[in-house]
Amino acid sequence: MNERTDKLISSLLKTGSIVAGLALWHILAEYVLNDPTFLVSPVVVVNTAYEMLFVTGELYPHLFASSWIFFYGFGLSILAGVPLGFVMALNPTVRDYVNPWMTTLYTTPRIAFAPILLLWFGIGGGAKVAIVFLGCLFPILINSYYGMRVVNREYVELARSFRLNSWALFMKILLPASVPFILAGIRLSIGRGLTGVAIAEWFGATEGLGYLVFFAGQTLNIPTLFVGVAAFAVLGILGFEVIRRVETYATPWRKQSQGG
Amino acid sequence: MAGPVLELRNLHKEIPRNDREPFMIFKNINLSLRDGEFVSVVGPSGCGKTTLLRVINGLMPRTSGEILIDGKSAAELDHELVMGFVFQGASLLPWRTSLKNVLLGLEGRGKNTEEAEKVARKHLELVGLSGFENHYPHELSGGMQQRVNLARALAVDPRILLMDEPFAALDAQTRNFMQLELLRIWAATRKTVIFVTHMIAESILLSDRVIVFSHRPGTIRSEFQVPLERPRNMEMRADPRFLELENILWKQIEAEVNASGGFAQM
Repeated sequence: MNERTDKLISSLLKTGSIVAGLALWHILAEYVLNDPTFLVSPVVVVNTAYEMLFVTGELYPHLFASSWIFFYGFGLSILAGVPLGFVMALNPTVRDYVNPWMTTLYTTPRIAFAPILLLWFGIGGGAKVAIVFLGCLFPILINSYYGMRVVNREYVELARSFRLNSWALFMKILLPASVPFILAGIRLSIGRGLTGVAIAEWFGATEGLGYLVFFAGQTLNIPTLFVGVAAFAVLGILGFEVIRRVETYATPWRKQSQGG
Repeated sequence: MAGPVLELRNLHKEIPRNDREPFMIFKNINLSLRDGEFVSVVGPSGCGKTTLLRVINGLMPRTSGEILIDGKSAAELDHELVMGFVFQGASLLPWRTSLKNVLLGLEGRGKNTEEAEKVARKHLELVGLSGFENHYPHELSGGMQQRVNLARALAVDPRILLMDEPFAALDAQTRNFMQLELLRIWAATRKTVIFVTHMIAESILLSDRVIVFSHRPGTIRSEFQVPLERPRNMEMRADPRFLELENILWKQIEAEVNASGGFAQM
């Protein structure tokens, strides 16, 4: 079988899976449960989303509020996580200092931090960004650290045999070798960042998708609740797709090993 | 006649261990190579021949002894890059194309980019890879990858070329072909070469001189001039002089393997 038929079958399977899932959902909602305070059909969700986007426009403030928090926290975590990971990989002293804190903060449920951060940073944007930041930081930090640690020894020896200086070793060997790991970390952090957005907006917000979902749940507005959840999903998928494209662009040598 | 290009004097390498006597890799290595000479080092597994190359190249420190290049201490010449190293694995950087891989050693050596690129292209052509400049390593066969590896080491115009079992990972057919290619490329560049291998026939086919290492700690057990004229070809493998030398080398290595505890230890 050639590559093209493989690809075609793969995309058919994916589409089939989505269609089947939506159909099952529709049947469950309309014909099995038939209780709109419990579950509504995807048709209702799409209609509601359409209304909220193009008729009332009430979804936009939530969408913008959440996106803003997400990109702020996510961006800051990349700016902090990648260099810190590198420094840890290159300097054992720094690694030993940071490691226990990293492990503690990484394994503690982030939701437990939320009230503390709200207390410290107030209900404004600061606390929310901090929650997202904490969520995104560790996958990026750990992957950047790990990526630089596992660089093939032969590449490093190659650089030494050519008498490259430390800066050239970093720029020409260590950094490019780490890029796939960093991107994988960034990809992982998207989901964690969006979780952070939801948590942050549950605890104290007057807008945002997390607030929308929470409020709709409290008022048994099931269609709006599903629209909020779907909006999170769409943001996540978009984020994944963007990173996937960055990966294809930034690491063209891995074309073959990258499946869908 | 000019002095030796490379001279090793009483070179000695051991690795310190906690609470025990140091682990001796090789000792009393005295060797000198004249300009343009191709010397192979053969010996039982673990005899320290690869470590010898790494010590000569400065990837590992020596314990004692001297390494002289054109009469000057290798440590002093360190940044002048007088050696090219061809690794066992292709060790090509997967994120760089063939051309960029060959450029690696030339970057930051005072040459302008255009000139460096010209040199890199010339060496890709020398190893028979014109037209593959923009291919990534994963798009090349094992043999082609080793050609890039060789081009990369040659591009810096090293005084000495160190080759560490460069064809060991290739299949037999590709290996034979690459041996002929190396003979051709060597004839074109006339570099001074130390070639480490565990394949006796390969060492005879390629070299002017074959050095036999003893089992660990490695010492030079014996050395042989290869009594075959150049240019070499594959038919020479059936030459009685070739077969005789192959037989002698094999017996010596077998004796070393037995002395180190036999094949079970390999």
